[in-house]
Order: sequence, then structure tokens, then C-alpha cells
Amino acid sequence: MSLLSTPPGTAPMTDVILSVHHLTKRFEGLVANREIDFEIPRQAIVSMIGPNGAGKTTFFNQLTGIIEPTSGTMEFDGTSLIGMAPHEVAELGIARTYQNIRLFANMTVLANVMVGRHVRMKAQWYEAVIGLPHVAREEAEVEQRSFELLDLVGLPRRYADDLAKNLPYGHQRRLELARALASDPKLLLLDEPTAGMNPGETRQMTDLIARLRRELDLTILLIEHDMKVVMGVSERITVLDYGERIAEGTPEEIRTNPRVIEAYLGKQATA
Amino acid sequence: MAELISGRQLRRVATIGAVAAVVVLYLCMVGLVEAFKDRNVVTGVITLGAVMLLAVPLIAGYRAALPARDPSGPTPGPAQRIVFGLLVGLIAGAVLGVFVLIASAVDVRGVLVRISPPLLAFISFGLPSGLAQLAITGVGGLVGALGALLLVSPARIRNAVTSGLVAVLFMSMIEPLLRPRLEQLDYTAISDFLYKAHGLTEMASILCFVVGAGAALLWQPGNELVRRSIEAAPVQTRRRIRGWTIAVLVVAVLILPQVSGTFLAQVAVLVGLYLLLALGLNIVVGYAGLLDLGYVAFFAVGAYLTALLTSPDSSLGIGLPFFVALPIVMLGAGMTGLLIGAPVLRLRGDYLAIVTLGFGEIARVLFESDALRPWLGGVQGILGIPSPFPVRIDLQLGTTHIFATGPQVLYYPIFAFCALAAVFAYRLSNSRIGRAWNAMREDESVAEATGVSTVNYKLLAFALGATTGCLSGALFAVQLGSVFPGSFDVFVSITVLAVIILGGMGSIPGVILGAIVLIGLPELLREFVEYRILVYGAVLVAMMLLRPEGLIPNRGRQRELHEAESEEEEETLDGDLMPQRGQT
Repeated sequence: MSLLSTPPGTAPMTDVILSVHHLTKRFEGLVANREIDFEIPRQAIVSMIGPNGAGKTTFFNQLTGIIEPTSGTMEFDGTSLIGMAPHEVAELGIARTYQNIRLFANMTVLANVMVGRHVRMKAQWYEAVIGLPHVAREEAEVEQRSFELLDLVGLPRRYADDLAKNLPYGHQRRLELARALASDPKLLLLDEPTAGMNPGETRQMTDLIARLRRELDLTILLIEHDMKVVMGVSERITVLDYGERIAEGTPEEIRTNPRVIEAYLGKQATA
Repeated sequence: MAELISGRQLRRVATIGAVAAVVVLYLCMVGLVEAFKDRNVVTGVITLGAVMLLAVPLIAGYRAALPARDPSGPTPGPAQRIVFGLLVGLIAGAVLGVFVLIASAVDVRGVLVRISPPLLAFISFGLPSGLAQLAITGVGGLVGALGALLLVSPARIRNAVTSGLVAVLFMSMIEPLLRPRLEQLDYTAISDFLYKAHGLTEMASILCFVVGAGAALLWQPGNELVRRSIEAAPVQTRRRIRGWTIAVLVVAVLILPQVSGTFLAQVAVLVGLYLLLALGLNIVVGYAGLLDLGYVAFFAVGAYLTALLTSPDSSLGIGLPFFVALPIVMLGAGMTGLLIGAPVLRLRGDYLAIVTLGFGEIARVLFESDALRPWLGGVQGILGIPSPFPVRIDLQLGTTHIFATGPQVLYYPIFAFCALAAVFAYRLSNSRIGRAWNAMREDESVAEATGVSTVNYKLLAFALGATTGCLSGALFAVQLGSVFPGSFDVFVSITVLAVIILGGMGSIPGVILGAIVLIGLPELLREFVEYRILVYGAVLVAMMLLRPEGLIPNRGRQRELHEAESEEEEETLDGDLMPQRGQT
């Protein structure tokens, strides 16, 4: 498969932070992602939806360097992501949260956020061992910044010294978000950020996502099942089904797209 | 009238009694009782062997009197509980009595070599058969009832009696240390008052008991008060308290060899060497969560590198001065860490443990091998490592006279290195690096995705752990003046790991306490040396069951292990999957 040229028809947008072309991932016969083209404009909120097993998480995992694509290109802010280790991707400015919350369970809430800042910290091990003053200064700054992030995501500061795993569910989601934000990402990947939440919490989270984009100049890519969230918050939506992109457009376009409705309802819709 | 004992209670009593009986028989059969039956605790009254035997029904009686875990059915009253204790003791005593009867009638020494006639005579109080059985059973029942009585009595009394008994035991155990020292310093009167025939005198034991019990009575309300006020204190005060604690500890370490005498200094040197090893392994296992069972390899590499570089008799024969060789040794150590770390980077958990275990053994086999004999000396090892320190230190500082000979000379350098390693480890653990390690321990792939280069941080942990271990090995080599491959078997790795587990993973104060308890105490109880591994095993099993977070836990870990797990059910909310058709 030739990937030498960008496909015709995708007119270059004014400012694209992430562009993916012909991305394909095969797992021993199963094609999890087939020839996916995908772009995110800077500071947009874009969603990716699709039924279970459509290949959304596989797509995320390729973006973040956890699994390597079989073929295709991924470019983030002018840098190719192909062959990068996850921590290098994080350093470039892509942070993520997980569908089933994955915190550092036995570390404190504050430490969780501070780990998120790791890539932006400079202290080397020998400097820490010697105890240079700039190490302590950096540590204090990051602690301060982490508290501010807790405020931002709405996690009360009194939880700071608790173990992450002892937080109530909703707070764990917020903490995961704070950890992701700590690295000052340019692109934030949210994997079902409202999974397991009640309608009230979901609304709060949706508001928070919109606010984060505004206040931090973030670009956000969302995987979500909850259509209210998706429709309410995103500017553009991409729909995957069986590993293929079947639709792309504004929420209004997606809502009325017959292929999307069919993909979600399957045979029942046609019956 | 309610029945005295219900069927369920009877079963429980029988179970505990049976366990007690098995433990008693076991102690006799492995020879622990025999080994200690001539060591006086209170001369003419009781020996350590007897203490050991009696402790079993005491503890069993105490346990039997504890409220049952299943609270259904009537709660037994105090009198009933004492009866439980009595029964448990009777069972244990009766079984032991029967065993003595059989053992004196039939010769069992072919199988159970430790069951000697003197032992049997000791157990049966020198009484003839028949009477002896009665006596053993009776004493068992009595002690079991006492154990139950202890539980039934108020907490203050219980604590006072326990600490009184512990005080007596402790004072008699340190006799081999204290007595020679007292006599050396011309406090013969005190020494004669305290000790007679390697045990406490009756008067001294009463005094010890009173002091121990009194201290417990006074300390208890105070203790609570102190704890509460420390908890309420602001951060700065707490920091100051910590500073003072460390200062006191440092002063104690500085003074110890001046007052302790040679033997204790020697024990302290051993504790220091293991402490250094444990501080290093703590980085690898405690912080980074990489279970390394082959840590002895680094200890060996450090010792051998030092031997090669400094001994004029080694194959290199260059005889570098120790402090010139040390940087080279540490560099080599770091490289070894990377070398061993690199191939195991992808392994996690159990797999890593097995592979490192193999590496540890490979190292020992290599040092032992005939192929490398021209360089490493094979089984004979390398001899003639000069001590970098003067044989004798004599210093006059103002009015204080500091002297040190033999092992004491190495004492200060070793503890200086320990202090350095502890400070370094503490600083690392509270920095970006320590957090990255912890994150890696918690969830490697998330840590990686959060920006931690797990490859680099694993290698760093291995390299730093290796360097610390090698440092200990280097000091070990110069302390001994020679190295043999036999010193570096897998048991060193296990011991160091046990120190960390006992003290508390990832906790520096815990590691220090662990080293003192696990390395220092067995040296003081010399009769134990033979049973050291057995006792280690028992201690580790007990720790894992009762206090898995260690003696002085790292804060996070304590919470992790002592919590009613209340994990939220992860429910998947079925959102509106369907676009709302009404709007279309």
C-alpha cells in the first residue's frame, strides 16, 4: 500500500494539530483499524464514536504509542508519532485518561498529579541525591501547580493526602483528568470520561471538558458512548464501525446520517 | 443451668489444644528445648528451655480465652474462659506427657535424634514415669489457665505483667554482653547482684519484673498523651521532633562502640553491612517494585572487585589503596547493575524474581568455578586484602578519649556509608525520581504513558541498588581481609529481603529496625545460630499474617494492607446510544 502522498480530497485545514492517514492495525487476521483518515483542528473538541469493538480504543493506543500501527501515518504538530515510545508521546504533549480508571492506586492524590508533571520536570537523580536547591524549588512549584489543578478539576484539596484508590468514583475520574493535565498537554485524549457516572455527574464532567478547552487552550479528542455528551460538547464527530471510518461531520450531520443509525441499531433498524 | 461448654466451644478448645500440643512436640523434636535447657533465665528457678515450653500453653490459653470469631451463641463469662485456657493447657500437657512416656519406654532416638534421656528427664521434672505425666499435664493446665487469666484481667494489668516478664527475659538474655562489660569497667558489685551462673539472680529478676511492670503502668497513659499531642502538632513541630530523633540516633550510633565492647561492635558492624545492603535493595524492591532475588550478586561483585584491586595477592596484584579502588568498584558495580538489569527489563513480577534468582546463583558459581580460578581464586577465594584503616584508633578530643580496635575501626566508616545511603535514598524517594519509581510499581504501562521512561528508571533503580550493594561488599571484603565464594549464597539475598519485609517496604526507618532485629538479635542469642533460618521462617510467616506492612510501614503501604476493601463496582452506564430520532 502506497502512503507516499496524502489522499486527495482532504483539503489542508488552517491549523491541524493531529493528522492521521491510512492508519491500519491488524491483529493476526483481525483488522482493528482499516485505512483510517482523521484530523483534529487545533483547539477543537472532536469525538470518536462507534459501537463496542469498533476500534476506538485501538486507535487511541496507536496514537499514544502503546501499540504500533501496521501501516499508515500519524503526525502530531509536525512530528511523526510512528515508532515513538509512550513516554515520548507524552513528552510531545499528548495526555490521556482511561476508560476504566487507572490511577496509581497506592500513591496519594497529590503524588498522582505530580507524577503527571514528570515530563516537564528537570531534576536529575544525581541532583536530587545531592539535594540541590533548584530541585527543592521545582518540587515546591509543582506541588503548588498540582493543588491548582485539583482546584481546576473540582477535587477538594483536603483529599490531597489520601490514597488515590480511596477516592469516591467521581473524584477518581477528576483525579485522572488532573494527572493528565499536569503535563501541560496540547492534546488531551479522553476515553469515555463519563462512563459509570449518573446524569448529574455527567453534566458536570461535560461542563468541565468545555471549560478546560476554553481556559487551557486544549485540543480534546473524546471517545464516548453517551450521545448527550457527544452531541453537546463536540464540534466534529467521527464514527467508526468494524474498524472503518463510516462517517465524519458535525453533530447535526452525524445525527441524521443513515449509515450511523444503521451501525448503532444494526438489523433492528432495517427490520 | 446452662451447659458449661457448648459443642462449638469444645471443638475450638480442642483445636487450639491440638495446635499447642503439636508446637510443644515440635520444639522438643527439633532440639530447641534441648539447646536451651541449660541456659538459665533465673538461675535455679527457670531455664530458657522451660520458658520456651511454657510459653506455648500460655499463649494457647490466651488465645482460647479470646472471644470466638463467630459471635453467634452465648459469650462465655470470665470463669468459663479460664476453663477454656485450662483445658487447652491440659491437652498440650497430656500429649507431651504421653510422648515422654512412649519415648522413655521405646528408643526413638533412631528417628528423633534430639530426644535424649537428659531432655526427657528435663521435661518430666526428674520425676518417675506416671508421676511425671501427672505433673506435666498439671503444669500445662495451670499455665494455660494463667494465659486465660491474663486475657480476662484488665488491660493495664495485662500489659504490666507482660512487660514485666519481657523485662526479665531481656535482662537475662543480654547477660553475655552486659556482664563481661560490667566486670571490665569494674562494676563487679552490680554484675554480681544481677547475674549468677549466666542467669539472673532471684532478687534481680524480681527487680526487673517490678521495673518492667511499673514502667508499663506509668507509660501507658503517658504514651497515649504523647501520641495524641504529636498527631495534633503542626508540621514544623513534627519536623523538629523528627530532627531530634535522628540526632539522638546518630549520637547513640557514635557512642555505642565506645561503651559496648568488642563483641557488640562486631555485631553492629554486621548489622551495618546488612543495613547497607537492605537500603540498596529497598530502592529496587521497595521503591521501584522490582523483586530482585539475586541481590547477593552485587554484594559479591563489590567484594571481589575490591579484593582484585586492593590485594597484592590477587591476580591483578596491583594493590591499590582502598579509597582509590572504591570509585572503580562502585563504577563497576553500576555497570553490573545495568548488565543484569538490561536483559530483564521486559519481565514483570514473578518472572523477574525467578530470573534474578538465577543470576544470583550464576554469580556464585562463576566465582567458585575452576575455569576462572586463575583470576578469582576459585573456592579458595582471594586473600590478603589490606585494611584501609589503622589497626587501632586512639584519639584525645578535649576530655573525651576515643579508642577503637579490631572491628570497631570499621564501625564508623560503615555507619557513615549507611547514613549517606539513607539520606540519598530518602531524597530520591521524595523527588521526581521516587515518584516515577512508585508509579512504575503501581502500574507500569500507565506510568509509561504518563511520561515515565520505564526503561531508564528500571535501569537507574538496578544501578543504584547495585552500587549500594557493592559498597557493602567492598566493606565486607576489607573487614574480613579475604573473600570466599561461600559467603555469597542465596541466603544473603533472602536475608536482605527479609530485613526489608520485616521493617516495611519502602520505609527507611523500617529497614533500619529490620536490620537490627533480624541481624543483631540472633547474634546476641548465640544458641539460636543453629536455628536461625527456622526462626527467620517463623518470623516471616507471622509477619505476613499479622502485620504484612512491616514494623515501621511506609505510610501508603499501611493503608493499602489494612483496609476493608471497598472497591466500587464498576458499572457501565448505558447512555443514550441512539441518536434521538424525534429531533430528526
